[in-house]
Amino acid sequence: MVGGGLGGLWAALRAAENGYPVKLFSLFPVKRSHSCCAQGGINAVFDVKGQRDSIQQHIVDTIKGGDYLADQPPIKSMCEEAPGLIRAFDRMGVTFSRTPEGTMDQRLFGGVKNRRTCFAGATTGQQLLYAVDEQVRRFEADGKITKYEDWEFLSIVRDGNGTCRGIVAMNLQTMKLEAFRADAVILATGGLGLIWGRSTMSTNSTGAAAARVYQQGARFANGEFVQFHPTAIPGHDKNRLMSEACRGEGGRIWVPRNAGDQRDPVDIPEAERFYFLEEWYPAYGNTVPRDIASRAIVRVVRHMGLGVGGKEIAYLDLSHRPRRFLEDRLGGILEMYQTFTGEDPYTGPMKIFPSMHYSMGGILVDYEKDGTAGGMKHSSPRNHATTIPGLYACGECDSGYHGANRLGANSLLSASFSGRVAGDAVSAYLKTLKSTAADVPADSFTKELARQQEINRTITSSSGPENPFALHHALGEIMQEHVFVERDNAGLDKAVAGIRDLKDRFRRITLDDSGGWTNQSLSWARQIYDMIVLAEVIAQGARLRDECRGSHFKPEFELKVPPGKFAGDPEYEAYKAKWKANNEKWLKATVATWTPDGPQFEFKPVDLSVMAPEQPRDYR
Amino acid sequence: MPKEIAFKIKRQADPQSPSYWEEFVMPYSPGHNVVSALMYLREHPVNRAGQRVNPVAWDCNCMEEVCGACSMIVNGVPRQSCAALIDELEQPIVLEPLSKFPVVRDLVVDRTRMFTALGQVQAWVPIEGSYDIHVQAPRISPKEQSVRYLFSRCMTCGCCMEACPQYHGGSKFIGPAPLGQVYLHNAHPTGEFFREDRLHAIMQDGGITDCGNAQNCVQVCPKDIPLTTAIGELGRQTTVQWLKDVFCK
Amino acid sequence: MADSLNVHYLSRKIHSLLGLVPVGFFLCFHLWENSMSRKGQAFFNEHVVEGIATTLNYKLAIELFLAAGILAHGIYGLVIWWQSKNNAVRYAYEANVRYLLQRITALITLAFIIWHVWHTRIAAGLDAGVEADLFGHLQQVYANPLNVVLYMIGITAATFHLADGLWLMGINWGITTHPRAQRISLAACGIVFVVLMFLGFHALWGFNGRFF
Repeated sequence: MVGGGLGGLWAALRAAENGYPVKLFSLFPVKRSHSCCAQGGINAVFDVKGQRDSIQQHIVDTIKGGDYLADQPPIKSMCEEAPGLIRAFDRMGVTFSRTPEGTMDQRLFGGVKNRRTCFAGATTGQQLLYAVDEQVRRFEADGKITKYEDWEFLSIVRDGNGTCRGIVAMNLQTMKLEAFRADAVILATGGLGLIWGRSTMSTNSTGAAAARVYQQGARFANGEFVQFHPTAIPGHDKNRLMSEACRGEGGRIWVPRNAGDQRDPVDIPEAERFYFLEEWYPAYGNTVPRDIASRAIVRVVRHMGLGVGGKEIAYLDLSHRPRRFLEDRLGGILEMYQTFTGEDPYTGPMKIFPSMHYSMGGILVDYEKDGTAGGMKHSSPRNHATTIPGLYACGECDSGYHGANRLGANSLLSASFSGRVAGDAVSAYLKTLKSTAADVPADSFTKELARQQEINRTITSSSGPENPFALHHALGEIMQEHVFVERDNAGLDKAVAGIRDLKDRFRRITLDDSGGWTNQSLSWARQIYDMIVLAEVIAQGARLRDECRGSHFKPEFELKVPPGKFAGDPEYEAYKAKWKANNEKWLKATVATWTPDGPQFEFKPVDLSVMAPEQPRDYR
Repeated sequence: MPKEIAFKIKRQADPQSPSYWEEFVMPYSPGHNVVSALMYLREHPVNRAGQRVNPVAWDCNCMEEVCGACSMIVNGVPRQSCAALIDELEQPIVLEPLSKFPVVRDLVVDRTRMFTALGQVQAWVPIEGSYDIHVQAPRISPKEQSVRYLFSRCMTCGCCMEACPQYHGGSKFIGPAPLGQVYLHNAHPTGEFFREDRLHAIMQDGGITDCGNAQNCVQVCPKDIPLTTAIGELGRQTTVQWLKDVFCK
Repeated sequence: MADSLNVHYLSRKIHSLLGLVPVGFFLCFHLWENSMSRKGQAFFNEHVVEGIATTLNYKLAIELFLAAGILAHGIYGLVIWWQSKNNAVRYAYEANVRYLLQRITALITLAFIIWHVWHTRIAAGLDAGVEADLFGHLQQVYANPLNVVLYMIGITAATFHLADGLWLMGINWGITTHPRAQRISLAACGIVFVVLMFLGFHALWGFNGRFF
């Protein structure tokens, strides 16, 4: 098991429950994992608010939220099993927020009309992560799970048949490399936000592990689909997330109507505030999905020039809500805003701008369809299997469930659910295995170990003018400028060229750190190369996709919804026909295969068996 | 506005080497915190004397004060360095690794002992299996939830251990954080089924009796977790448990 | 049996209890009894010293019980003291300062008790003259201002240690669990400290005829 976030811990737990010994590798103690940053909640239909919410509606919202790009059977299974998953969390002791009668409370999130999101204050991810961590520790105490914390995954080991039979990892204290045998390997290594330099992600979410198996033959799918969270606080070191729950709990997004208005926001009268989401999308208002909100903010700020004080900033305002209510529902994150900006979100609006937040794409994983139920077949060894036999992937590093855009509060769900599925899938795979890793000749392992040692040696002995940390800034600037909320082909061409140039510059780096113990620069240098590799996949994927879908937006190819026209109107029907024709061409997953000369792309059809793409996304 | 940011950092090359102090300066820009400044320094690893040195090693991850990784002593106070804003600190900013844990390198320490303690006190709610058993946990009132929530936010960062006069390399004391977790799990309607096991675990040497009530833990906790309340409540629970053990067997 | 008794837990609880019974109770009684010094030499020797000597049944047994209690509390206390690493300079919070004072006063009190018992109870046991006129003997001791100062320090330390010990007991036995309860008990223990200390000083000054 590589990775100890929510997905990794679930997979480890499930495999251990099924009776298999697990070795769990993590860059840091697992409680530090990025899952703890998820704030708002986790979706599951309980319909506790009398809204006639249904699992079917959750499936529809997820499929449409992802602009039909995700394979639908896994979504169906995920939404169906969500309530049971929440019940398991509840039994583990998660401190979910409660209704007055002691049942689980639910809040509203973006892209849906019903209150469907279970939450634990404003630290839901932390609470869920710790709950599974505790269960894993229970198995650890019984000796059934062994943790290797402060170890970095470097590569998988494949036997003569190409089957994955173990990993090579580096001890981040001693910097020693070691090969470990394993009958199956699950990767749950999270997101890749650092490719954008600054994102809402933790400083270890580099995507390096995914890049490593990609370079060893695993396919990478839908890399160009990246969610930009509309409400993040821009910062030096990272962009801190202000949860979508802010909008769910009544937060309003606005900018002053007059460009360059220098007044204190609280002195700007209502009439001179531009609540653009409410004006443009009256049905959903401030709770439109993230991609739409991000684009609207970019449009208002960059194109209309209405950014607060002329900067790339918009307001997220909660100050009209009662203090007690806010403290109760959002206390944790509002406190964080105060801590990191020194400004009071209870009395004035917060300053936000979209930021890279989540990668819908990732390592391509398979599933077995359940012919009768239409979902994923339970405990099939094909579920969450990568294209390399014996290698599985789950959590954010895989490419399932979210298609072209992820709904808020579906990430904790997909991380947990996919982890549990992967744990079961691996258990099923292990039952079918005819030979074990112990039977594999040692030379597969020694060869891979030597290859990795050679990479370390090359990096530590390399000398040149380039600094690995500066390369990261350069990469971030390219991605932030050209592979952001709005994309165009000329910019993407520049991005691809810039990324290739970075690959070249990497060969001339010098490590500043000569230390033989906890050499973070060495580890970083290896990761920055892997980030460059993935950046190339992402930028090229974006370049190839000449359409607008979910989070991927090229204005040049936008099919504009006729304003004020709805279904039945001939203008709208004509738009719909064009939209369907576009689907014929582009409703396919982008799949990248590594070659020494850069990624090779192919397009893979999407399983649309649950809900055919008849209705364009429309949040007006 | 200051022109520069000055640091004095306690460094150590590896667990065996002696520690030493090194000073750094970097250009000022607003909005920095200690970690973002360390990021600048690792890119420009030059000390005050102008010598190129090995970059300072430290731990961090979430940068939002929820993961617990970046604990260090900032100007004498153990805290999350990502939330230590430069503008609010006196300069030179003095950074030291937590002193109660073995130093790995520079500001990186090995806090394994904290996680081991969570295992010792059985800080979990035993469940039959992680699959759906088609029933929820018993109902929990919003009031009970809000009390438990205070403790479930503990990120095992080690600040309370650092400030505790009873917690150090030579003592067996498990420290305040695991005690808070015992309280948390004892307060869960089904977690309570195993409260005896947890109480017995903390009634051993190194358990609750080793608390000296200096109450520094509650002062330094970055999450304002009412650790001393948990300790008081566990004092009550263990007293009752002990009487039961002696008289009701 | 050993398991259900939990020797470690038992010894900590006994240590805590010993501080109150017999040691704490005896301290209160002792200070109250000696505060009768203000009534003069004749009254003190006759009613206090003689009174106890004649009315107290099983006096030796009680004295041995007391001595054992003090020694047990003191010696085990040293073991506990050994485990602490004081940091009140770095963390100068009120409770942490008291944590340090509790340990310092423990040492002072232990040393003081040994010295005090040596030149009162043991001196009286060895010398019938001392036993006959304990008041006069103590007047002589207190004629030296240094001894008066040492006594004042000893009394302060002992009464502080008892009062703070009561506060700690409230937490350790689970009586005062919440911050508010602990603040109230701190105020109450503060009053106990001041009253007992005053009682002690009053007794001390009585021997030199300075009283009110």
